[in-house]
Amino acid sequence: MKHLSEEAMVELYYGEGEGDASAHVKACRECAAQYAELTQSLDAMSPVVVPAKDAQYGERVWQALEPRLIPYEKKARGWFGWSLSGWTGWKAATLALGCAMLLAVAFAGGRYWERITAKTENSAGNKNPQTTQPTVVVVLTDHLDRTERLLVALEHADSQDHVENAQLQSEARELLVSNRLYRTTAKHAKDPALAGALDRLEGVLAEIANDPNLTAEDLQRVRSEMNTQGILFEIRVLKTRTTDQGNKTNSGRGASI
Amino acid sequence: MQENDHSIVRAVLAGDKEAYGALVHAHSGSVFRVAFRMMGNEADAEEIVQEAFLRGYQRLESFQQRASFGTWVYRIAVNCALDRIKRPGIEAEYRAGDESDPEEKTVQVETQDADPERALLSREISAVQERAMQRLTPTEKTAFVLRHHEDRSVSEIAEVLGIAPNAAKNAVFRAVQKLRRELAPLRGMA
Ligand SMILES: [Zn+2]
Repeated sequence: MKHLSEEAMVELYYGEGEGDASAHVKACRECAAQYAELTQSLDAMSPVVVPAKDAQYGERVWQALEPRLIPYEKKARGWFGWSLSGWTGWKAATLALGCAMLLAVAFAGGRYWERITAKTENSAGNKNPQTTQPTVVVVLTDHLDRTERLLVALEHADSQDHVENAQLQSEARELLVSNRLYRTTAKHAKDPALAGALDRLEGVLAEIANDPNLTAEDLQRVRSEMNTQGILFEIRVLKTRTTDQGNKTNSGRGASI
Repeated sequence: MQENDHSIVRAVLAGDKEAYGALVHAHSGSVFRVAFRMMGNEADAEEIVQEAFLRGYQRLESFQQRASFGTWVYRIAVNCALDRIKRPGIEAEYRAGDESDPEEKTVQVETQDADPERALLSREISAVQERAMQRLTPTEKTAFVLRHHEDRSVSEIAEVLGIAPNAAKNAVFRAVQKLRRELAPLRGMA
């Protein structure tokens, strides 16, 4: 009989475990004992008592907030230059950010989609598959390259060098954004190997990106707890895969990516 | 309620700024609750509430009508709090708080015991728990607060944090592991 992992027990505790887990705990003494211990320790976590807010709290929040808000109508007029004031800044920034995001999604999503399309057309006997694929492989390969470099840097990052750690962190933040995009696209494109690897990678990137003051100890912890070596290996395997795809489409064309 | 929220959002976007007040009244309680659980003190939590509703107003055009406004602004609040926790200055203060004043920390957790000795013990446990919480990474801490105290599902946590469900699940798991390890010496005391 395979016993439940600690992880499965935590899921079970929070009501997200599978039916089998619950049945197993009922049937297996060993797991039942461990589960009881886990339940006891988690139940013992004292609930945080949130200070009660009176009925007027919402009104007070609103009173403090209201003077800071610019009506939407006026903002719309501002676009034509009638009443340009402080509010245009964030409006323009939001719009610019929105456009940039849209472009990024269209670009990366579209590229990936093209690769999938190229693959389908390829198998359907399309004579000209190489028109789109190489570029796409470059886009994904670039992400994997950067990721690989980051993981290698992480393996060797044991100094107290704040600048180096800050660079690692800013790279992780950037990669986190593009990684989300690739992961979602890979998932939609039914590519479980890529989606799975990107998923695991995302956990590592989020840890590095979100740590307020990254120390050598933090990096060591990420390395040991999140199996970064294993992920690095996966990324390298995926890179060979994408490179192979690139080479196949390039064969006979002379151009190399 | 949700339909009502949607019509309020439409009114605000059409220029009725005052209508936003109704959304603030309706959701400030739940936003304050999660902000307090994440920040651990009332003053910071109140600032997060302000910031979340302000950001919500400024981004209202990106609010999807199929979503719930409550969930949307909640998510903004969690991210405001996460940003705040991540800021080095605040974090240093946060960690330094460990040793400063155990009394202050322990007022936040429930002590129902009338017996002064038990109350003292329970305060001690709370202080250890609070310290253990501070040792989590911001992501782990957020994931744990949302899962354990706010009863949010792993997929909701993933959505709030903008990470994959598996990464969210792992963050909860790591938090539980660490907390159990830190709190292990207390087992049997309570
Ligand atoms: Zn078992």
